[in-house]
Amino acid sequence: MSFSVAEGPRLLAHLDEGPGLDRHRLANAAPGVVPLERLASAAEAADLRGRGGAGFPFAVKLRTAARRGAVVVVNLSEGEPASHKDEALAMLRPHLILDGAALAARALGTRRVHLVLPGDRPHVSERIHEAVAERRTGERLQWRTHVADEGFVSGQARAVIELMSGRANRPVTAWAPEAVSGFHGRPTLLSNAETYAQLCSIWSQGPDPATMLVTRHSETGATTVLEVELGAPWSAVLSPDELRRPVLVGGYHGVWVPAGALADRRVAAEDLAELGARLGAGVVMPLPAGVCPVDRTARIVSYLAAQSAGRCGPCRNGLPALAHAVDQVRRGIDNGERVQELCGLVSGRGACAHPDGTARLVRSLLRWFGDELHLHQRQECGHGALAPTG
Amino acid sequence: MNGPLLWFLNRGTGIVLLVVMTISVVLGVLSARARAGRGTPGFVRSLVHRNVALLAVSMLVVHVTSAVVDTYVDIRWWDALVPWGGLYQPVWLGLGALALDLLAAVTITSLLRTRLPHAAWRLVHWAGYLAWGIAVVHGIGIGTDADAQWSVALTVACVAAVVLAVGVRVTGTVRKAIRA
Amino acid sequence: MAPSRLRVDWPSCHGRGLCHELLPELISLDEWGFPIVTGEVPPALGPAARRAVAGCPRLALRLVES
Repeated sequence: MSFSVAEGPRLLAHLDEGPGLDRHRLANAAPGVVPLERLASAAEAADLRGRGGAGFPFAVKLRTAARRGAVVVVNLSEGEPASHKDEALAMLRPHLILDGAALAARALGTRRVHLVLPGDRPHVSERIHEAVAERRTGERLQWRTHVADEGFVSGQARAVIELMSGRANRPVTAWAPEAVSGFHGRPTLLSNAETYAQLCSIWSQGPDPATMLVTRHSETGATTVLEVELGAPWSAVLSPDELRRPVLVGGYHGVWVPAGALADRRVAAEDLAELGARLGAGVVMPLPAGVCPVDRTARIVSYLAAQSAGRCGPCRNGLPALAHAVDQVRRGIDNGERVQELCGLVSGRGACAHPDGTARLVRSLLRWFGDELHLHQRQECGHGALAPTG
Repeated sequence: MNGPLLWFLNRGTGIVLLVVMTISVVLGVLSARARAGRGTPGFVRSLVHRNVALLAVSMLVVHVTSAVVDTYVDIRWWDALVPWGGLYQPVWLGLGALALDLLAAVTITSLLRTRLPHAAWRLVHWAGYLAWGIAVVHGIGIGTDADAQWSVALTVACVAAVVLAVGVRVTGTVRKAIRA
Repeated sequence: MAPSRLRVDWPSCHGRGLCHELLPELISLDEWGFPIVTGEVPPALGPAARRAVAGCPRLALRLVES
């Protein structure tokens, strides 16, 4: 694996014991049939929020999906290339995920669980298949796997439902939330793998301490998945040097926070909200020394533009235009007006939030790095980066 | 009933139908390419196509009725709907009935367009091309005036118009795809 | 409450612009020909909005609940 995993207090505990079911069962009883309201209340008391990026309250989703014909879907596709937390869980703690899904399935009265696996991380598929095979005996649940395409938007909720329905793995318009009407029009509980793992952990060990998984990209080049207690100071995640830098919080659909902003803050939604940021899927990327944030952003936006599913006009046209405009800003040719215009044009005008997330990232560049942008307009760069991004 | 009037009515509506159907098809083909803001508004093109098509349908009713009512040739009313079993020129008549059936499907689905899934409507609407083509062949085969020079010229012109329109549409699509 | 918000089914929209022609008060077009929809439909524009919905050749415009 291209990253390391640090031992943690709950999900990443006892990593040395291996991913097998027997070891897992020593500390986690097999999930029985739990009345839905008890499970929902436990999730609510723990304020469990989705770990796929949107942070939606899980109890609400669970209660909404609690109608006849409910479908349970575990989203392990992890389309964000910088995120490795679901991969880590799948490789090292698959049964946490599967137990959580089993709990939800039993509470909703369904015997089948759908697992959406990442097409570009085949080792994850392998491990999950092994884990499912281990559970075959005794558990009266059917595990159905689907393999998502490689690509940023393949893990989007509706894209996943399309994949499950045998169609192209791309987003379509959602006229209702999937918990109301999803797979074949049925109430669909579709949540991130870590969310299910957290559910299992909350159920068997109680709500405290609340944790989340973070993928940290250190400036040394090392990538680590670690489990952080919510409310811990950011110094638990980032080194003192890194805390002095601008940080990209939330992955490619996240936002920049300015240098030093995290130093006195905690890993908590409220602290980040002050900066206009969200925890998202827990990807944390401090800007390495000597790297230009404008350049870095231009590259990310270029990547995101190429990842458009190409289904919606404003995204298909707007994101490449936005990537070009950001590059013009990087080259000091544009003052940012065109970028602002395009951010407005792409937001809220697509079947999914891909353009919105991209626009948010770009807006944070304009918000926090005005000084850098002025330098670029004078054909200077504090980090010596004025070559074309390509 | 008998008499040359019915026969002329049938022949006349047949020839005019060819032209009206051709116009409808050409309008349909060309309006599918248009963008807003250039020339005639899209909704106007759309309505004209629709109204020309409905005109064709009403003329078709006259065309069929005049043939059935006329006792000079033995065309029963169901010969207009069922493509086989006709007594008078069964092959060419059958083609006419087939064209009518297809046109009926297109018309009904179009009248109910907003209540159907778009994909279903679109699939049936393709049969419009087929209906037109079969109608042209029906005319050539059964038409009393089919051998006349003006009739041949008219038929060629109608076919050319549709082929040209389709050509323009296809090259436009190809150009767009190349640019993309 | 009667449906009074316009929503675009983006994957279906081909940017033909008929909606803008039929309801310019609420729908304008961006530089690529795609509709910019100011959502809420005042009651006075209800019939026009319904015509715009019916007029879309791709059925990509819908009137939904607010």
